Amino acid sequence: MTAPQLNGAPLEYAIRIRGLTKHFGTQLIFENLSLDVHAGEILAIAGGSGTGKSVLLRTILGLLPFEAGSVEILGSDFASLSKTERVKIERQVGVLFQDGALFSSLTVLQNVQVPMREHLNLPQKTMDALALLKIAMVGLPPNAAYKYPSELSGGMRKRAGLARALALDPRIVFLDEPTSGLDPIGAAAFDRLIQSLQRTLGLTVYMITHDLDSIFAVCDRVAVLADKHVVREGAPMDLVRDPGHPWVREYFCGERGRQIAKAS
Amino acid sequence: MGMPDNDAVLDRIIEPALRSAEERGTRRLIVSGDWTLAALGDAQAAVDDFEASHGPAHEIDIGDMRRLDTAGALTLIGLRDGKAAAKTADFSRARPEHRILLDEIARAAPAAYEPPPPRAGAAVEILRRFLSAATSIGRDAIRLTMFLGETTAALARVVVHPGRFRIKAFTHQLQQTGLSAVPIIALVSFLIGGVVMQQSAFQLQKFGAETMSIDMLGILALRELGVILAAVMVAGRSASAFTAQIGTMKMREEIDAMRTLGIDPIETLVLPRVLALIIALPLLVFLADMMALAGGAVMAKLYLSLDTDMYLQRLNSSVQAKHLYVGLIKAPFAALVIGLVGCLEGLSVQGSAESVGTQVTTAVVKAIFLVLVLDAVFAIFLSAAGF
Ligand SMILES: Nc1ncnc2c1ncn2[C@@H]1O[C@H](COP(=O)(O)OP(=O)(O)O)[C@@H](O)[C@H]1O
Ligand SMILES: [Mg+2]
Repeated sequence: MTAPQLNGAPLEYAIRIRGLTKHFGTQLIFENLSLDVHAGEILAIAGGSGTGKSVLLRTILGLLPFEAGSVEILGSDFASLSKTERVKIERQVGVLFQDGALFSSLTVLQNVQVPMREHLNLPQKTMDALALLKIAMVGLPPNAAYKYPSELSGGMRKRAGLARALALDPRIVFLDEPTSGLDPIGAAAFDRLIQSLQRTLGLTVYMITHDLDSIFAVCDRVAVLADKHVVREGAPMDLVRDPGHPWVREYFCGERGRQIAKAS
Repeated sequence: MGMPDNDAVLDRIIEPALRSAEERGTRRLIVSGDWTLAALGDAQAAVDDFEASHGPAHEIDIGDMRRLDTAGALTLIGLRDGKAAAKTADFSRARPEHRILLDEIARAAPAAYEPPPPRAGAAVEILRRFLSAATSIGRDAIRLTMFLGETTAALARVVVHPGRFRIKAFTHQLQQTGLSAVPIIALVSFLIGGVVMQQSAFQLQKFGAETMSIDMLGILALRELGVILAAVMVAGRSASAFTAQIGTMKMREEIDAMRTLGIDPIETLVLPRVLALIIALPLLVFLADMMALAGGAVMAKLYLSLDTDMYLQRLNSSVQAKHLYVGLIKAPFAALVIGLVGCLEGLSVQGSAESVGTQVTTAVVKAIFLVLVLDAVFAIFLSAAGF
C-alpha cells in the first residue's frame, strides 16, 4: 500500500475527533470520545447494536449537533466553516447510509448523477457514461440503471448507494454496514472493490461493519465502540492477541473470530 | 490544529496533455498532467484534438502522468480503444496503482457506453395512456366494489368474534376524524349558512318575499348543504390521512409483515377507520346543519332585522323534519365511500415516497367526486320517492 500522501503534502488524519460528548434528550450517547482516522486507511467501526455507530457517523458529517468536543474532517472543523467551504469539503466526501437512502423518485442512473449535477458542469453524455461506469463498478447489472429504488433488492440498493457515494471520486467514503444484507460472495466482491479503490485513489474509508470477514480481509484498523466511547483501536490481529475489553474478546476471540483470524 | 494546508496543493490542477513521439517507425503517445474529474473537459478536448490530427499510436506512455481517477481512467480507456491508437496499443510505464485502476475501469467500461433500453414511440405511449385512462373508471369501480366486499367480510368476522374488534384504534380514529374536525366544520357551515341567507334575502327582497329566504335556507341547509360541506371537509381531512398512514406502512413493508404474522390488515387498519367515519360523519352533518341555521339566524337579524324568535318560528312552521332526515341518511353512505377510498388508495401505494403523494391526491379527488355523485343519486331517488 502506498503511504497516505496527497501530492506532496502529507495529510496525517482524515478525521480527528477529540472529547466528543453527545446526548439525545437525557440519554448519554458519547462521553469524551476521541478517534483518529488516518488518511488512506480503511478503518472498521465495530460495536454492539445501539452503541451509537450510526450516530457517530452522522455527527462527523455535521448532520447531528453535539454538546462538547471537536470534530475535524480533512483538517478543518466542520462546525466553524462557511457555507462555501463546507461545500468544498462535502464534495470530497461520499456517504453510503445504512439503508441506501436513494431518492425514491429517481432512477438509479439519476441518483448517481445527482452529485455530479450539483457540483460539476458536465455534458449529459459524459455524466451518463460516468454514472454507468460507477454502476458497473459496484457490480450492478446494466439494466438496473433504469430502475427505481423500489424495484431493487436490499443488496442492490446498497450497491446503488455506493455508486452514488463514489460519483465524484471522493477522498473519504463513509459506509454504514455496506455488506450486511449481501450474499457472502457479493460481500467479498464488495470488499475487494473498496480495497482496490482505496489502493488506487488513496481513498480513506470509514466503514461501520459487523462482518468479521471484511474486517480481516480489507481493514487496516478497527475501532470498537462500547461504553459510550472507543474502547479499543488497532490492527485486527492486535485486537485478537490482546482484546482488553469483554466485548472485544467475545467478538474477536469467539469460535468464528478465531477461525477467520487463523485463515487470514 | 497544525494541519498542513493541502487544499492549495490539491486545487492546483496540472492541465492534462497529450504529446506524440516518433521512434523508428513506432509512434508513442505521451500522457501528462492530471487526468481527473476536475479537469475532465480539458482531457476530453486533448483526446479529441489528438484523434483529429494524428495517426494511430502504438504505445501509450503514462509514466509521467500525475493524478488519475475513475473519470480520467475512463477517458484514457476510450483513447486506447479509439482510433487514435492501434488495435494492439497498450499503456506503458504505468505506476502500479494506475495499472490496477485502469484494469478495474477497463472491465467496467463497456457498460458505460451501453445505450439506454428502447422506449415505446411517443404515439404508442399516448395511445396507451389514453386507453388506460379510459378504462380506469371501470377498473376503479370493480376494485372499490371488491374492497367493499372484503371489508364487509371482515365486519362479519368481527361481529361473530367481537373480541377481535380493535376498540382502541376505533376510538382513536373517532377522535381524529370526528372530534378534531368539529371546529373547522362548524366555522365553515356557519359562514356558508350566513352567506346563503344574505344572498337569497337580497334577491327575494325585490319581490317583497324576503322571509321566504328562511324557508329556502332551512331546506337547502338540511337537505344538501350540511351533508355536502361536512362530507367534503372530511374527505379532504380523513381520506388523505388514511391514504398517507396506510400508504407509508405499505411502503415500509409493514402491511406484508402484518399478513405474515397472521394479522388481517383489513380488520386492523381498514375496519376501525371506516366504522369510525360512519359514526362520526352523521354527527358532523348534524353539527353542520345546526351551524348553517345559526349563521342564517345571525344574518337574518343583521340584514332583515328579524328576531331569532321569529326566525325559529318561521323555520318551525315551514321546514318539515323530513328534510333533516334526508340530509342525515346520506351521511353514513358518504362516510363509507370516503373511508373505503382512503384506505384502498393507501393499500395501492407502490414502494416510493412519491407514490404516497400521488395516491393521497388521487384519494382526495376520488372521494370528493364520489361524494358528489352519491349526493346526486340520492337527490334523484329521494325526490322520485316523494321525500
Ligand atoms: N434520532 C434519534 N433520537 C433519539 N435517540 C436516537 C436517535 N438516533 C439514535 N438514537 C439512539 O442512539 C443510540 C445509538 O443508535 P445507532 O447509532 O443507530 O446504533 P448503531 O450502533 O446500531 O448504529 C440508540 O440507543 C438509539 O436509540
Ligand atoms: Mg446503525
